[in-house]
Amino acid sequence: MLPRFSSLKAKTKKEAVTALAEGEEVTLVAGGTDLLVRMKRGESHHHLIDITSIEELQGVVAEGSRIRIGAATTHSRVSTDPLIRESARSLGEAASGIGSPQIRNMGTIGGNLANASPCAESIAPLLVHDALLTIESAEGERVEALAQFITAPYRTTLTGREMLSLIRIERLEGYREGYRRVAKRAAWAVSRLGIAWAIKEAEDRFLDVRLAVGSCTPRPFRPRSAEALLNGRRREKWLVEEAVKLCLEEIRQISGERPSFIYKLPVIRDLLRTILGGG
Amino acid sequence: MKNVTFTLNGKVVTSAVEDHELLLDALRERFALKSVKEACSIGECGACTVLIDDEPHYSCLTLATKVEGHDVKTLEYLGDIDRLHPLQESFIRHGAVQCGYCTPGMLLVAYSLLCKNRNPTEDQIREALSGNLCRCTGYIQIVEAIKDAAPVFQSEG
Amino acid sequence: MFVGRSLEKVDAAAKVAGRAAFAYDLKMEEMLFACIFRSERPHARIGQIDTREAISLPGVVSILSAKDIPGKNLFGAIRKDQPFLADRAVRYRGEPILVVVARNEEVARRACGLIKVSYEEIPPILSPADAASSAFLLHQDGNLLSYRRVRKGDVAKGFSEADVIVEHTYSTHWIDHAFLETEAGIGYLDERGRVAIESSTQNVHYKRAEAARLLGIPEERVRVIQATTGGGFGGKLDVTVEGFLALAVHHLRRPVLMRYTREESFLANTKRHPLHIEYKTGARKDGTLTAVKVNVIGDTGAYASYGETVCLRTAVHATGPYEVPHVYADSRMFYTNNPPSGAMRGFGIPQLAFAHEAQLDEIASSLSLDPLDIRMKNCLKKGSLTATSQALSASAGLLETLKQIEPFWRLRQKKHPGSGFGLGCMYYGIGNTAMPNPAGAQAELAEHGRIILHTGACDIGQGSDTALLQILFDALGMEPRHVILDRGDTASSQDAGSTSASRQTYISGRAVYEAGRKMRQFLEQQGYPEGKDLREIYRVAKGQQPLCFDGFFDPPTTRLDKETGRGIPYATYGFATHMTEVQVEEATGTCRVKKVRASHDVGKGINPALIQGQIHGGISMGIGFALLEEFIPGETASFDSYHLPTSMDMPRIEVMLVEDLEPTGPYGAKGVGEPALIPQAASIVNAIRDAVQVNVYELPCDVERLKILLERKEKR
Repeated sequence: MLPRFSSLKAKTKKEAVTALAEGEEVTLVAGGTDLLVRMKRGESHHHLIDITSIEELQGVVAEGSRIRIGAATTHSRVSTDPLIRESARSLGEAASGIGSPQIRNMGTIGGNLANASPCAESIAPLLVHDALLTIESAEGERVEALAQFITAPYRTTLTGREMLSLIRIERLEGYREGYRRVAKRAAWAVSRLGIAWAIKEAEDRFLDVRLAVGSCTPRPFRPRSAEALLNGRRREKWLVEEAVKLCLEEIRQISGERPSFIYKLPVIRDLLRTILGGG
Repeated sequence: MKNVTFTLNGKVVTSAVEDHELLLDALRERFALKSVKEACSIGECGACTVLIDDEPHYSCLTLATKVEGHDVKTLEYLGDIDRLHPLQESFIRHGAVQCGYCTPGMLLVAYSLLCKNRNPTEDQIREALSGNLCRCTGYIQIVEAIKDAAPVFQSEG
Repeated sequence: MFVGRSLEKVDAAAKVAGRAAFAYDLKMEEMLFACIFRSERPHARIGQIDTREAISLPGVVSILSAKDIPGKNLFGAIRKDQPFLADRAVRYRGEPILVVVARNEEVARRACGLIKVSYEEIPPILSPADAASSAFLLHQDGNLLSYRRVRKGDVAKGFSEADVIVEHTYSTHWIDHAFLETEAGIGYLDERGRVAIESSTQNVHYKRAEAARLLGIPEERVRVIQATTGGGFGGKLDVTVEGFLALAVHHLRRPVLMRYTREESFLANTKRHPLHIEYKTGARKDGTLTAVKVNVIGDTGAYASYGETVCLRTAVHATGPYEVPHVYADSRMFYTNNPPSGAMRGFGIPQLAFAHEAQLDEIASSLSLDPLDIRMKNCLKKGSLTATSQALSASAGLLETLKQIEPFWRLRQKKHPGSGFGLGCMYYGIGNTAMPNPAGAQAELAEHGRIILHTGACDIGQGSDTALLQILFDALGMEPRHVILDRGDTASSQDAGSTSASRQTYISGRAVYEAGRKMRQFLEQQGYPEGKDLREIYRVAKGQQPLCFDGFFDPPTTRLDKETGRGIPYATYGFATHMTEVQVEEATGTCRVKKVRASHDVGKGINPALIQGQIHGGISMGIGFALLEEFIPGETASFDSYHLPTSMDMPRIEVMLVEDLEPTGPYGAKGVGEPALIPQAASIVNAIRDAVQVNVYELPCDVERLKILLERKEKR
């Protein structure tokens, strides 16, 4: 049972942003898998706008060196899209494990980002692909890097008049790429830890190392110091150890020492060793 | 209140629904489709699963207004006691039903899977079912029932 | 012959068609909805209750309190120490205080939210240790609900004879039943003016008795009917909605519907007891067990529920399924302000099996003995003396289960790093412990030559309807088409006792068999084997002689000596061995259960498909218990934080059955509902030990705890 509210289904982006501009406390809803649960638990929303019928917010399209993903594209679609499979595999793998099959049919990549949970699994792969977000309002549009978009757990730069419409990611060709989650059970569990990686290497030399860690710090992040250490260098055990140490250091710098780290840091350490050490 | 027109179990229907009404409640109360069960109401158990455009969704987290223009199927679509669908018969034969509360959701997910994949492996079946909890059966006989029904599956209910 | 065949369940067609009506699916004219206002504090005196805003909400019909209870405001499965509605004080967070009745659920719950209560908080007692030392008495007789002991031989002597002694403490946490269908029911006045309740339940006669006491009216004026029940596992044995419904119907004289939300079920429902088990085992160097000393301490929560049963069972089963000459077992259950712990599949034995199986593997390891060999050496057999000095005279097939597992065990091969194999054995007394727990059943020859089986045995999904019918078909020597089932209605079925303690196939099954044989005898006298039609027999005999044939069975047990526990607590036991293969990923602490081979001595398999279903489900619950599930009072709200195994968490399973016939059982059958679960977590723990050389002493051993254990091992 939900508390009373009024809702409307927007058919165009214009309709949605106009309603956002003109209304008092209007909330956008896509899949509803996060929002409706929060509302059942007491969060108050009086006017909902369903944006899942807006065609321009759907789909995955190639755009030069980038891929455009509509914000209301479901996780199911993201996880099976051939373009993403080919040039952004870590995103497809992450999406294919979010929630359950039903949740993936309902939930959207935009919803995942706008909710900005520290455990939102789209985020790490999107960081690896230097995702740029397009945010629209009645006043126009702006573009923001994902890393800046999320400011704190469950907080983004979205104002009450703005709608996330598009995610553009870099295509990565010739990278060894993947996503690894750690969760309490084999399916359908909030990830306790997630690591996305895309690594370009040639003859045992790291050319471009991209890593992102999720569900560990308040916001998923890229361990830049570790990446910088490895880029251009030959893969050697001691170097990988150093990089892993740098990553763990960066985590500690961000979060301090958390109770969960007694478990999480050794797991990150061991997973990174495998990922960097040659898959 | 809004009017929603959609295809329900093969027939086009129209109903007035509240803006805040959940599909789960609309199906149970306005259409008397009691096979749709509520067991957790936060999309964490699968008992409320219905098919929208032949894909499994949690009706407890779907607004009734969302299905305008879409196709919705509940267990009643598959068959009834006197004319059971081969999937339903397979569930009976394989002992896939114990308390029966998760059964409607399981059957609909199975139906959806077999519509797309006529010869699923055991792993594919398990993955398809991974959004539906069962506390009684341990899933094994449910998976066996689905595997066994696959060869005789036809998607017209 | 129908016994031994995997007949299709008689209720399956309705369930696969979505036609089976569960309690919340029921609807009646003028129906109201009731919900419960619950305590928000774990321990407090109730001050002012302000219902003014709530009662004036349009659509609210009535708000009932303890003052509206005409009869007794106390219930309990064993000891009646639990109020239906809290009167002056609350003892756990979630304790019911008021019943709010309204025209529909939305209004009822909204009204609930408008009720204001002031509490005078009392410092809560939150552990058995606190309870033992606290001056505050939660109940009249103190904070110790129950203390049971088993003594056999002389443990000091036993340990002195041991070449190796292993001593550890094991602990487990609260577990929720998590049946898919939450508690629900409908109450109404039936055509005879009785207060009728149709609910999701594991028993009907007990609920009727409690409702009658609550209302202060004779039991004949109350009727309880089992609705299609979506799982129980022990959580629907206690009164849940039945009392509230009876009270509301009594006052309002209209139908009233109730159901718990999932959050409410987690909050209000009894739990599996968290147990703290101190276990000391001694053995000779050839592996023979010489002595076992066990101290079990349990948190039974705010009210007694089935705490005494868990106390007694854990003391009685303390040694596990092994013959041990010297035994010293103590078990204590303490009241606290935590949620009430009660009956849950296994009544303490899954927790105990975790301990005794881990102990045995450690003993085996320190003696360089194979875990299978040490079990074969010590296992209970015909002629063995149990810990309560009962001599097992029949149906003790543990060794056969070990032998069935043996070829697979000997050939086991670790295919990957992190592979491990573990064994878990168990035995479990079928039926209530050391007390009468009979079942009645009746076969009636009715109009048109129909045969009606009247039984109060509640089918909660495990298939007792089907199994009992199969027994009747064979006892009658007849085809199914003549037989109708009348089940779970106090107006017309005999008291079969509760569906718990894995007892219905054995006890109701035997009662049904007896009833069937009596009817068979009668039919033979009437010329049935010569071709006389049932309709004809009915016509002729009607009015001349009784056409109802009663069966009755109460397993032969004895009381146990208070000091030593000596006696015969059960007439028969289930035995089983599980062999589990796991795959542990050391990097992450992830443990996947890959394969389970389960061998069970069921006496006689009435319906193998049903038995397999029970074992699969039990294994699933065992995986949850070992690796995933943990209820944290005040924190765990719903399935988002309480993890049941999904289809992808399940292993491949092979089930093997041993049929060591039980002479007192119907066609030799015993029970399997709880045995299905009991050895599973134990075998996972032993497999983890084999895989990564880590000893698990606390459950659940989830992904985080296992990684921490692995890290500690590395550091050493």
